[in-house]
Amino acid sequence: MERPIYEIRSLKHSYAEKTILAIEHFNVPPASIVGIIGPNGSGKSTLLRLLGLIERPTHGKIHFNGRQVEPFSNEARFLITLLPQEPFLMKRSVFKNVSYGLKLRGNGSNITTSVNDALALVGLPSRDFAQRPWYALSGGEIQRVALAARLALKPKVLLLDEPTANVDAASAQLIKAASLRARQELGATLIIASHDWEWLYEVCDEVRHLFKGRLFGSGQENVIFGPWQHYQGRLWQKELTDGQCIRFAKPPPQPDAVAIIEPTSIIGTTQTKHDGSGPDILEGIVVRLTLKKTSDEIVATIMIGNLPFTLKFSRQQVQAENLYPGQRIKLYYSPVSVEWL
Amino acid sequence: MDFILEGFVQALHLLAGGNPETYSAIWVTVRVSSYSIGCSLLMGVPLGFCLGYFDFSGKRPLRTVVDTLMALPTVFIGLLVYAFITHRGPLGNFGLLFTLPGIAIGQTILALPIIIGLSATAVESMDPKLRVTIMSMGANRRQLFISSLWEARHGLLAGAIAAYGRVMTEVGISMMVGGNIKWHTRTITTAIALETNKGQFGMGVALGLVLLAIAFGVNISVSFLRRRI
Repeated sequence: MERPIYEIRSLKHSYAEKTILAIEHFNVPPASIVGIIGPNGSGKSTLLRLLGLIERPTHGKIHFNGRQVEPFSNEARFLITLLPQEPFLMKRSVFKNVSYGLKLRGNGSNITTSVNDALALVGLPSRDFAQRPWYALSGGEIQRVALAARLALKPKVLLLDEPTANVDAASAQLIKAASLRARQELGATLIIASHDWEWLYEVCDEVRHLFKGRLFGSGQENVIFGPWQHYQGRLWQKELTDGQCIRFAKPPPQPDAVAIIEPTSIIGTTQTKHDGSGPDILEGIVVRLTLKKTSDEIVATIMIGNLPFTLKFSRQQVQAENLYPGQRIKLYYSPVSVEWL
Repeated sequence: MDFILEGFVQALHLLAGGNPETYSAIWVTVRVSSYSIGCSLLMGVPLGFCLGYFDFSGKRPLRTVVDTLMALPTVFIGLLVYAFITHRGPLGNFGLLFTLPGIAIGQTILALPIIIGLSATAVESMDPKLRVTIMSMGANRRQLFISSLWEARHGLLAGAIAAYGRVMTEVGISMMVGGNIKWHTRTITTAIALETNKGQFGMGVALGLVLLAIAFGVNISVSFLRRRI
């Protein structure tokens, strides 16, 4: 088996005594694209800063290419680069911002060519942008200049923290395309934290879910936040915004716990089932169908009220059910198939 | 009012005519203030960077001490330095009393907290994203330090100007530690004080004008430098 480019075991990171990240085990294969999905405050940016060797973990070690690394490690600092969520341009021209890293690394020759190539990669023609000062750029252009500065370094690992969160659709498209070219042309490993799970499912070899600092699952689990109310007997429920209730026969550890349901525990169908087993039923609308990159599976997003559910279908199922966005669909789930966080 | 106007006329004569006593005081002031500001920058900028950049226990009290020392009275520094370098003092053997190095030591003590405090403020006000950016480009510790200083250059320059202004215009240290010895340790400010006491307004005004001219020159240079960098 190929040696992972990153290997993390028993890592903990805290700020002011509060544990932000607690990851038991996380391997990243070389030249892969790994997506990290999670709500705000789940620890995505912290994880990327640790992987980018910007910070040292409070406990535990990070191994890169089999060697233990930390901030300023010579083994890794020229191979890894991080594009933060809100990139920062130094008070200088676009050309000087993009060439900054090259100069730091002593890549004195062909700087102009490297900068021009990197700017072209993110859709910013050098003749129009190279001499522009940092303050004469739009938000999307700043993000693209910052990405160009990273791509010019020809990194082995490119860490992207919400790269398309604050930009317009055209910039987002260019950023996505440029990131993927880094993988295709440089064989770079990409680790992407994003809310754009549709994009992640489309491009990633592996998607992981990060919640309250813990990595789990494949990233396609359905996450339902509390508060939960006691219904009757062992049943606990949450009322959704459209008036339907989702109920579980497994008590939550606390009323504001988070319920995790595997997509495979839910059956979605346009027909009414009468199997008598008594699973609860919810009704929603198909809003999106996405083909998974690594398999033939189709991931469907079904909205119930304002809560999105993720289900997996085979191509045949989609054809048989005649699924399309906008169609109403019934979800059958088992009230005991829930994990609590 | 006439004596003031006469003073101005006399000042122009002294400066235009190259009066040796006037130019001696100017030269001494420029030399000694350059020594002291040079030493203060060499020590103060790294210390200020550390104070502003790193978080450590006792940082807040230390910052309060530095801010307090920024307002140190010059006569008090003069008194302390005098006590140390006088023949009976612990540093008496070095023969620093009534010398330019003696004044420079006192003025360095005066400028150092200003440089440290204002450098720390400049570094603290840097965008925290700068560090992430520089590190993500693969910088080592030295490159991170130099690049961060460069990004804080305008704040550091402002601190240096404030300290230079304070050093150039102080009287207490130069008078007590330098002794106001003609041709030797007499600075612009001690000369102004002495000449005014003697009723020689002309020389006092001439030296005052020179101080203003130096301040103007320094600010013009810094303003030019700011536009260039």
